[in-house]
Amino acid sequence: MEEKKQHKTALPEKEPIPSAQAPEALLDIRGLRVEYHTDEDVVYAVNGLDLTIGKGESLGLVGETGAGKTTTALSVLRLIADPPGKIMGGEIWFEGEDMLQAKPARLREIRGSKISVIFQDPMTSLNPVYSVGDQIAEVIHQHEKCSKEEGRRKAGDMLEMVGIPRARYDEYPHQFSGGMKQRVVIAMSIACSPELILADEPTTALDVTIQAQVLELMNELKEKLRTSLLLITHDLGVVAQVCDRVAIMYAGEIVESGTIAEVFDHPHHPYTIGLFGSIPSLDETAEKLKPIQGQMPDPTELPEGCAFAPRCPYATEACRTHKPEMTGVGGTQMVRCLAHQGVFESPELMEEVRHGR
Amino acid sequence: MADKDVILEVRDLKKYFKSPTGTLHAVDGVNFSIRRGETLGLVGESGCGKSTIGRLILGLHQATSGEILFNGQDICKMNKQQLHDLRKDLQIIFQDPFSSLNPRMSIGEIIGEPLRIHGKVHSRTELDKEVSRLMDVVGLSARLFNAYPHELDGGRRQRVGIARALSLKPQFIVCDEPVSSLDVSIQAQVLNLLKDLQAEFHLTYLFITHDLSVVKFFSDKIAVMYLGQLVETADSAELFRQPMHPYSQALLSAIPIPSSRQKMQRVKLIGELQSPIDPEPGCRFAKRCLYAQEGCTGRDLALRGFGNGHFCACCRAGALHEPSISE
Amino acid sequence: MTGKVKNKNKKKSQAAAVWRRLKKNKMAVLGLIILAIIIFFAVFADVFFDYETLVIQQNASLKLQPPSAEHWLGTDEVGRDILARIVHGARISLPVAFATIAIATVVGGLLGAIAGYGSRRVDDVIMRVMDIFLAIPSILLSIALVSAMGTSVTNMMLAISISNIPPFARIVRSAVLTIKNEEYIEAARAIGASDKRIILKHILPNCMAPIIVQATLSIAGSILAIASLSFIGLGISPPTPEWGSMVSTGRQYFRAAWWVCAFPGLAIMLTILSLNLLGDGLRDALDPKLKN
Repeated sequence: MEEKKQHKTALPEKEPIPSAQAPEALLDIRGLRVEYHTDEDVVYAVNGLDLTIGKGESLGLVGETGAGKTTTALSVLRLIADPPGKIMGGEIWFEGEDMLQAKPARLREIRGSKISVIFQDPMTSLNPVYSVGDQIAEVIHQHEKCSKEEGRRKAGDMLEMVGIPRARYDEYPHQFSGGMKQRVVIAMSIACSPELILADEPTTALDVTIQAQVLELMNELKEKLRTSLLLITHDLGVVAQVCDRVAIMYAGEIVESGTIAEVFDHPHHPYTIGLFGSIPSLDETAEKLKPIQGQMPDPTELPEGCAFAPRCPYATEACRTHKPEMTGVGGTQMVRCLAHQGVFESPELMEEVRHGR
Repeated sequence: MADKDVILEVRDLKKYFKSPTGTLHAVDGVNFSIRRGETLGLVGESGCGKSTIGRLILGLHQATSGEILFNGQDICKMNKQQLHDLRKDLQIIFQDPFSSLNPRMSIGEIIGEPLRIHGKVHSRTELDKEVSRLMDVVGLSARLFNAYPHELDGGRRQRVGIARALSLKPQFIVCDEPVSSLDVSIQAQVLNLLKDLQAEFHLTYLFITHDLSVVKFFSDKIAVMYLGQLVETADSAELFRQPMHPYSQALLSAIPIPSSRQKMQRVKLIGELQSPIDPEPGCRFAKRCLYAQEGCTGRDLALRGFGNGHFCACCRAGALHEPSISE
Repeated sequence: MTGKVKNKNKKKSQAAAVWRRLKKNKMAVLGLIILAIIIFFAVFADVFFDYETLVIQQNASLKLQPPSAEHWLGTDEVGRDILARIVHGARISLPVAFATIAIATVVGGLLGAIAGYGSRRVDDVIMRVMDIFLAIPSILLSIALVSAMGTSVTNMMLAISISNIPPFARIVRSAVLTIKNEEYIEAARAIGASDKRIILKHILPNCMAPIIVQATLSIAGSILAIASLSFIGLGISPPTPEWGSMVSTGRQYFRAAWWVCAFPGLAIMLTILSLNLLGDGLRDALDPKLKN
């Protein structure tokens, strides 16, 4: 019995991902499965997702449209619209509490105070009929008992923290530019000093110079407040500039995870390699990009084996029938690929991995 | 000036819109030219007027003043019939593949529509054959002929838009942010397709985008636009090697680099984007510029040459040679 | 070669797809069945009831009889069989109502599309004229028009059509104003499509939904308008059976003989209900965005 257990831990692919520095896990998602049921068919949005975020850590969740990134974030707060969405299985542990078992009242307590969200579009996430200061103060009053003046003072502090002068407290959202609005949204999200911020494409709607300012602000706040961050994005550049670790998502699963240095210097999964091949580099002048062939699989009928197999240049027969498991490839880096699991040999893939970036 | 190779030349182009608060200077005195077979990348942030330029060239907007010479003929002075004929040579690919296709028309109808309008085909059979050929050229499978746009994903929809633009065998295509709403892997497919088509059909592109890494990959020359005016034009590699205008420098330094080893060193800008409504004369960027001094405002600045085909509208350009130094 | 085959399939498949989608909508099918039954009886009215003896001929001895085995829906104040009059009345009410709304839809839709798509001045001229028509109560407008043109069924139809045009123009115009800013309209201009083509091929098909809803709702109004005009002697003259006038004459006997008024009313209601159900279903079925 004892021996068997030891043997089990020796095989990294059987255990949940242990982080190298092993910070205390703040959020621990295990085997999450989410489906959307419509009249005709079932969309398998998230299929057995494992994810951990340590205290003070920032994790970038990268994937393309339909990979299930937003669904994952909404599941953490139990904000999936039901129907059509349904959490079919798994656990979401936040500070030792399973969010999937929590009562609605408890969830409301956690939302906004312990976990807050930043949405993609700053234009629509602010209410146009309230002043920006009052909107921040409202969040504070929701979760803390304090006087009106105190709320106003605190909301003003938050505005200053995100680089907006306190004097603009009484202005309305339409008087702010896009970048400033996103700052207000960030101020709202940090108002109750949450443990975790879920940021869903927070800079996608912004221009590049404004995006740079907002990213800089997020980096500053991260240092100052030691808040954990789950940053959802499709932009590998944004992740590299803000996050400590990165998880690459494809068709509802994590296919590769590790520190920024690990994944960005030596991507292992063919999908990750393909993603990097798709971005035009600023340093070199390439004549052609090396895109991934084909399209995302239809989430109503996912391939039987590895979800990426139909688009993978290295795929073998085994990939079409066997589901790969997360496998450690050194350090904290984990990959979901049969080639790395040792099921088959692919010298071409290994050469690509060794070459790195 | 009479360079035989120049396919499109824009001279002092202006487009003003009336708004309740004043006159919006969307495009304000823009000059550039594109040579046959080349790609000019037009870069700028939202609201700088880059899309308006694209629509002016297509004749979809009427210019306030200025000239757009296409093969030596001024588009701004064309009558309806001439504009109609111009469509055969001048086409556009739109940004949003979700709103640029009529949801009630099938893919085959959408791609075939230009051919029918311009009477390029004489029978149903011929039309279908040509549409199938176009679908093959842009890599759409034949079974999508009767499909509707909503059944396709973004990448395929954009291919439909490209096929529609190609159907009349144009010489020149305005690409208005053709890949910015697509996923990275799909984006690369479409960019490669556009490059292949350019080589195959000897196309000239005006590539409008806000994405600098895409524009560097795609363009031979780049023009940087700020609030209705060009602030810098240069060969693509040259601009990235040595951006001269403080705005170009800021723009380049703001790109998040997807690498674990390079961190952003952002050139700081002062304040927010200015309004393009009734701008004051002088450098539009002066209010946000770290290097602004007295001579920057009050008089309008034109692009000045710095050799090597590098032009910049900054009155201190040349003196500010060290790029991307963080302040 | 393959092209030709594809073509035939295509036209067929488009209509088939609409039909398939419509069939899936149970309420629309119900509407279709009710409407089919009504139309069936209207077409074969003479087979079931003799026009002269049952519909026109007065028979004082049989007046105001309640529903019985002989007269299923009872008789009216001059002893005519109500069922027979309803069935024959459908031959007048339905075509007239359909025709008026068809005219109003086409004319109003085109005017609205031109106003929405055209220049500011065109828009102003068309819409101000429509406003004037809207400002006059539609029944008053119809009365005025019929009096001016002379009493006849054709003139009555024209009058009702005209008074129905402004709401269509308004609805289509506002739909066009939103659709006109879609990028595919700009795309159509970029490939050199004429204004006519843009309106007919690109704009109108995309504002079908509000048009269909307005059309099905207006048919009810049209049937009632025919009744009102007939009532004051400007439409269909008395012995001819017509649903609206049957309801209005039956009203005065309602306390003593409810069936005189109720059954024609029920016929109107059933027709309108079936049209509304069918209209809703058609609106959805014509939208390719909704999956099969």
